[in-house]
Amino acid sequence: MVSTFSEKLQSHRSIITTEITPPKGVETSSFLSDAKKLKHCVDAFNVTDNQRAVMRMSPLAVGKLLKDAGHETILQITCRDRNRLALQSDLLGAWALGIKNICVMTGDHTTKGDHPGAKPVFDLDSVQLLEVVRKLKEGYDLSGNCLEQPPDFVVGAVSNTDPTQPMQHIKLRKKVSMGLDFIQTQAVYDTEEFACFLEKINDIDVPIIAGVIPLRSAKMAKFMNTHIPGIRIPDELISRMEHAEEPLQEGIEIAAQLIRELKNMCKGIHLMPVGQHTHTKELLKISGSISGRQYNGQ
Amino acid sequence: MIISSSKTFEEVLVFLEGIDNVFVIGCNVCAARLHVGGEPEVLDMCAKLKAAGKNVVGWALPTAACSIQSYEKLVEKGPGIQKADAILVMACGSGTSVVSMLVDVPVYPSNNTDSLGGRSQEQVIPHLCEMCGACNIQEFGGICPKANCPKGLLNGPCGGSISGKCEVDTEQECAWELIYRQLEKTGRLKLLEKIIGPRDYN
Repeated sequence: MVSTFSEKLQSHRSIITTEITPPKGVETSSFLSDAKKLKHCVDAFNVTDNQRAVMRMSPLAVGKLLKDAGHETILQITCRDRNRLALQSDLLGAWALGIKNICVMTGDHTTKGDHPGAKPVFDLDSVQLLEVVRKLKEGYDLSGNCLEQPPDFVVGAVSNTDPTQPMQHIKLRKKVSMGLDFIQTQAVYDTEEFACFLEKINDIDVPIIAGVIPLRSAKMAKFMNTHIPGIRIPDELISRMEHAEEPLQEGIEIAAQLIRELKNMCKGIHLMPVGQHTHTKELLKISGSISGRQYNGQ
Repeated sequence: MIISSSKTFEEVLVFLEGIDNVFVIGCNVCAARLHVGGEPEVLDMCAKLKAAGKNVVGWALPTAACSIQSYEKLVEKGPGIQKADAILVMACGSGTSVVSMLVDVPVYPSNNTDSLGGRSQEQVIPHLCEMCGACNIQEFGGICPKANCPKGLLNGPCGGSISGKCEVDTEQECAWELIYRQLEKTGRLKLLEKIIGPRDYN
């Protein structure tokens, strides 16, 4: 059964998405080759938008190239680099280029990236940008001017999964009130904690796609615990990584186990293999997540 | 209070390269409280300039550098200004601008103007107000996210804070953590549910 990402979100089937990081430069064959290898393993590719505030190729261009190669794409769009005019014009451009799915987020601050002296824009926040998207879909721009033809995006937003942060849950509810088709989460390592988070937001009726980042070493796990917001890796997993003879393989096993558990708790999985897809197919296979995925008539 | 900080003396000397007769103007309000433009700092600057070979023709300490009435008032406070080839202002950008409008010689800043903040319980609080011209601080329990949050987020925190600390400066508490606590303390958590629209920069 071939269907669009939108139809899949509404179906009973579990969803798998993964990330494509645009290149630092104009070399496009690597990400196109990664996407080709994973074509029947995932439902859509999420294209990151100058992630961690590191300057890379425009996700709009990467999204278009992926689209042309027959892939379903989700365009990430952050509030950091564009004011309300640029955001709206890029959104209209994305739709015209055939990109139908977007995922809205605030964006990491410019000081965290490779151009720390850049002006951080943040003209809109993520809730306000979602309001803009809603208005565009209704046929108006933010100022209330009519559009000749409105886009009809499938709209996602992101969330941390810490059940102890009520302010994050309040903000998520604001995002939901703007009309969301899916919620993509930060990486989850503790399924019990994730269950608590789901309980906290059980009034929200939007499909949730849980983030998974395969660990590569105990050092990486410890670094993520202290440096990556919204991530908490339990000591037990760090210990498993420390005692593993082959940490890379252990990381894949852990991720596969997480995928198997999380698939039963929410709508699907968003796999973020931190820049490289060397083991993505293997991981999806081990976790029992490959079963002839196809998208959008391709 | 306008928060300003001193440039290094080396930077100041680069500005004054080739200039002999220098007049120094401080500010007895914000810069004095922050110890970057009061009398002790002005006298210290004069001494350093002299040691660096400059002819310091005088100094003045107006009540507020941003509110000097006229050139004549400056002459009253420091007649030496009439012999100056350049003026060094130890105040915020507003003070330096006002002095520039009143004199006919080049004016140089010895301070960087950082923000609109305050001082309480002997602590300098650097970011309190962004002077947006549309105050709605009551929505946030009196803690303005436009000034306190580096992203100026109006509808809640980003996903970047770790253990309640700011993504940009991990020594600082997340502005939204402070807002939440203040609203909780005053029984107004309901305010957090209100959706705040985009700012109007017009």
